[in-house]
Amino acid sequence: MAASSTRQKLLSLIDDIEIVSKELFEALSTPKTQLRPDGADSVMLMELLVEKDQELKATIKTAEEQAEIQSVMDNLKIEVEKRDQEIKVLQKNLKDSETILSTAVYQAKQKLESIAQANNKRTSSEDLIKFAHRISASNAVAAPVTWAPGDPRRPYPTDLDMRQGFLGQGTYTDVSAVTRSNSQISNSKYRSS
Amino acid sequence: MTETEEQQRIRFQVELEFVQCLANPNYLNFLAQRGYFKDQCFINYLKYLLYWKDSKYACFLKYPQCLHFLELLQYEHFRKELVNSQCSKFIDDQQLLHWQHYMRKRLDLLQAQADKHSQSVKPNT
Repeated sequence: MAASSTRQKLLSLIDDIEIVSKELFEALSTPKTQLRPDGADSVMLMELLVEKDQELKATIKTAEEQAEIQSVMDNLKIEVEKRDQEIKVLQKNLKDSETILSTAVYQAKQKLESIAQANNKRTSSEDLIKFAHRISASNAVAAPVTWAPGDPRRPYPTDLDMRQGFLGQGTYTDVSAVTRSNSQISNSKYRSS
Repeated sequence: MTETEEQQRIRFQVELEFVQCLANPNYLNFLAQRGYFKDQCFINYLKYLLYWKDSKYACFLKYPQCLHFLELLQYEHFRKELVNSQCSKFIDDQQLLHWQHYMRKRLDLLQAQADKHSQSVKPNT
C-alpha cells in the first residue's frame, strides 16, 4: 500500500469511481423485474460512490501538498547547483594559483643555485677580458677574416707547432718519473702549486 | 713525491703543451693508432689532466677547446672510435666549420648592412 504512488492511487480511485458509477447506472436503468438477486443495492453503490469521492478529495489534497514539497526541493536543488559551480570555480582558482606558486618557487630555487654557483667561482671581469683577448687575437678560437681553404692555420696546435714546442724539443729531464707515478695512481688528484 | 721548483715549472709547461695538443684530431688519431689509448697508465694520465678545467689553470690555455676533447677522451667509446681516420677527419671538419662560424656570421652581418645601405641610397638618386 505504501509503495503505490499518489498518482497510482488517484488513477485507481478514478477507475473505481468509474466502475461504481457504471454499476449504479446499470442498477438504476434496469427495471425491477430484471434485477439480479445478488446484484448490488443502489443505496450501497451510492454510499460506495460517496466514499470513493471522499477518498479522491483526500488524495488530491495529499497530491497538492506533495507538489509544494516538490517545488521546495527543486529550489533547493538549484541552490545546490549554484554552490557547486562556485566551489568548482574556487577549486580551479586554487589549482591555478598552486601551479603559479610552484613555478615561481622552482624558478627562485634555480636563481639561488646560479647565484651560489656564481659566488663560488668569482673571476674578475678584467681577467676574463684579458683571456678572451689572448685566445681571439691569436686566432685560436675564431678564424682570421682572410682564411681560405689551403691556409695552413688551424684551430689547434699543428704538427709544426708541436715540433717547435717545449715537448718537441725534448729539452726536459726528470719529469718522466713524476708523470709515471701520477699515471700509476689511478685516482690521483695531484696538482702543481 | 718531492720535486724541485724547477722540475715543477718544467712539468707545468710539459703538461700545458700536451693537454693543448689534444685539440688536434690528427694527433688523437695518431695516438689511437699506436695503441696509447689502450694503456691503462695513459688513461689514468688523461684523468689526471682534468685539473686543467679549473679556472686557475685554464687561464693559461691558448686553445681552451682542448678541454672538450679531454672530457670526451674520458669515455672508452670515444677512444675506440678515434682509431678510424674517418672519425678524426669528421672531427677536423666540424672543428674548422665551428672555427669559421664567427667570421661567417660577421660577414653576413656586414653584407646585410651593405644591402640595407644600398637600398636606402637608391630612392634618393
